[in-house]
Amino acid sequence: MTAPVKAMDPLDPPDTDRDAARLAAGWSARLSALGLSAAAVAAAFLLGGILLALAGANPFQAYADMVSGTFGSRFDVSLVLVETAPLLLIGLGLAVAFRARVWNIGAEGQLLMGALVGGAFAIYAPIGTRAVMIPAACVVGALAGGAWGWIVGFLRARWSVNEVISSLLLNYVALRILEYTIRKPLRDPVGFQPVSETLPDAARLPDIPGLRTHIGLLIGLGLIPVVAYIMRRTPFGFHTRMMGLNRDATEAAGVKTGRLITAVMVVSGAFAGLAGILQVMGPESRLTGNISPGFGFTAIIVALVARMRPVGVLLAAVLIGALTLGGDVIQRTQQVPRVLTIVIQALFVLLILVADKVGRRSR
Amino acid sequence: MNWGAVFGAAAIIPLLNASIRLAVPTGLAAVGESLCQRAGVLNLSLEGMMLSGAYAAFLATHYSGEPWLGVAAGIGGGMFIGVLMALFSVTLKTEQVINGIALVLLASGLTSFLHVRLFGVTAPERFDPMQKLEIPLLGAIPGVGSVLFDQSPLVYLAVALIVVVSWTLHRTQFGLAVRAAGDRPGAADAAGISVDRVRSAAILTSGAMAGLGGAVLVVGQLGLFAQNVTAGRGWVAIALVIFGRWSPPRVAAGAFLFGFTDALQLRIQSASGGIESDIPFEFFQALPYLVTIVVVVVATARARDDAQPESLGVPYIKGARSS
Repeated sequence: MTAPVKAMDPLDPPDTDRDAARLAAGWSARLSALGLSAAAVAAAFLLGGILLALAGANPFQAYADMVSGTFGSRFDVSLVLVETAPLLLIGLGLAVAFRARVWNIGAEGQLLMGALVGGAFAIYAPIGTRAVMIPAACVVGALAGGAWGWIVGFLRARWSVNEVISSLLLNYVALRILEYTIRKPLRDPVGFQPVSETLPDAARLPDIPGLRTHIGLLIGLGLIPVVAYIMRRTPFGFHTRMMGLNRDATEAAGVKTGRLITAVMVVSGAFAGLAGILQVMGPESRLTGNISPGFGFTAIIVALVARMRPVGVLLAAVLIGALTLGGDVIQRTQQVPRVLTIVIQALFVLLILVADKVGRRSR
Repeated sequence: MNWGAVFGAAAIIPLLNASIRLAVPTGLAAVGESLCQRAGVLNLSLEGMMLSGAYAAFLATHYSGEPWLGVAAGIGGGMFIGVLMALFSVTLKTEQVINGIALVLLASGLTSFLHVRLFGVTAPERFDPMQKLEIPLLGAIPGVGSVLFDQSPLVYLAVALIVVVSWTLHRTQFGLAVRAAGDRPGAADAAGISVDRVRSAAILTSGAMAGLGGAVLVVGQLGLFAQNVTAGRGWVAIALVIFGRWSPPRVAAGAFLFGFTDALQLRIQSASGGIESDIPFEFFQALPYLVTIVVVVVATARARDDAQPESLGVPYIKGARSS
């Protein structure tokens, strides 16, 4: 990758010139990566359109319905943002893990544990004020998700147990624990369904003024620059990125990679756990067996489409949040199964892999 | 709780028989995966291969009424994901973990989409799973006969296939090429072996076996398809490869252990009285996954030698540095 270096200007000190060139190179690389991702996303929608046509719908009408049903009114946008919030949070954590090439696919289970432990805390803790309750429950949820992620990191660091397998299998275990808890100990005695009691008012998230979206989204937005800063400017971020490029060299440079893997798993688990408790305090208002329609899996796509960059995670989370909701819309208006959006998401990732190869070859 | 209903003399033979039956879909996928990993490809699309195979088998059986056609379609369905996996991992040389996970999602989305599109919310009629075939004479041996030789024909097919794959890997020229491609692709290449071709063949074999596993599940056992019917069996199969230290016979033994746990949890659940039981049934549902995690940890922690193929998951690029 060579950057266009402009001719030396005798009035400019050479250092600044080199800095500017490097900056330009960084931006041009980032822009071309964005262009490739956009092309891949467009191609995925094109293939999705073919599937829509095969399913007997008019693809143009379906996509038009999708756009007007997700961005047509302030209410629709609020709903998209409700969908975006957990994807953004989990995606940020997974972006860190994937940067280190630690393949955490257990975010779903980490989310459920955060929701369960945080939710139990919110129901039973005798705290009457929101300003105390909400942050406290968030911490509890993040800790629970982090602990569930820690198991995976520990197994990996101590006995090199493949994290893909252990994290995935723990999803099933977490779901059963949640189902048991709301069926027996935490069950609402008057409820017909196995669900917990409704959370006290102090533990209900207020909406963002002017929107019907809970403030969990703001927490996610606030964490974007934090993650970006940590990844770019701190030893932890540096080591994480270094480990992703070459684990042996990182170990040789004196970094305890086992400890770093565990830390990365705890961090990404904590983000998922936080997303989980926010779902409970926000849209769900109680613990149920289907708190998550697979946010932990969808967020994997979000992190990958974002190429593990924090700002990219926001864009991808909005895109995929809107797509998910758009699936509901076209199921209603075009009688097309909403799972079509899962196919499109898988195509995002596969086509971005293709675009990367094409881009690298042409450079 | 009535433990006699689980471990009594009259119960133990059906229990072992069921263990084998439940082990077969996962075992087929796991043995195929071990071949694939020995060739150096970490094939995480396995769950997608099983699912795609299961659905193809279901559709073919549903529309033709002929279960063997379903079995053939299942193999094809698994190989369809296999072709995509080979395209990405071998031809494009992308990150295997990422394209593997994406292909699982693709299979899950496509099968669910087709199923809802074709049958709507009403579940299609269940068909009868394939009949058992008791092998004459052998099936009459008391005890052993009823465990081993009173199974669906698909079980015999699966066992034969597992034996063939083990033999191929350890005793044939192709098996040597597979192992070389997974350990030292550079050296294999220098010796005139096409690493790309060997790896593609291994992925396709893995797709065929996982697809067959999905078909066995649908045609041989359930007689129906539900969204994500494989329920993580493909992921368990990958865990079994680690448990079996990349050796097909040991992987198959691990699959039997998983089948036994699954059969056991079903028995205990029904013997302990379901919802009214003191032991929560969710515990038994989680048990096969917990046992899988534990055995993988134990197998990895106790291993003296590093059995993992040296270039597992590393795309082979001709002329590049290392290996």
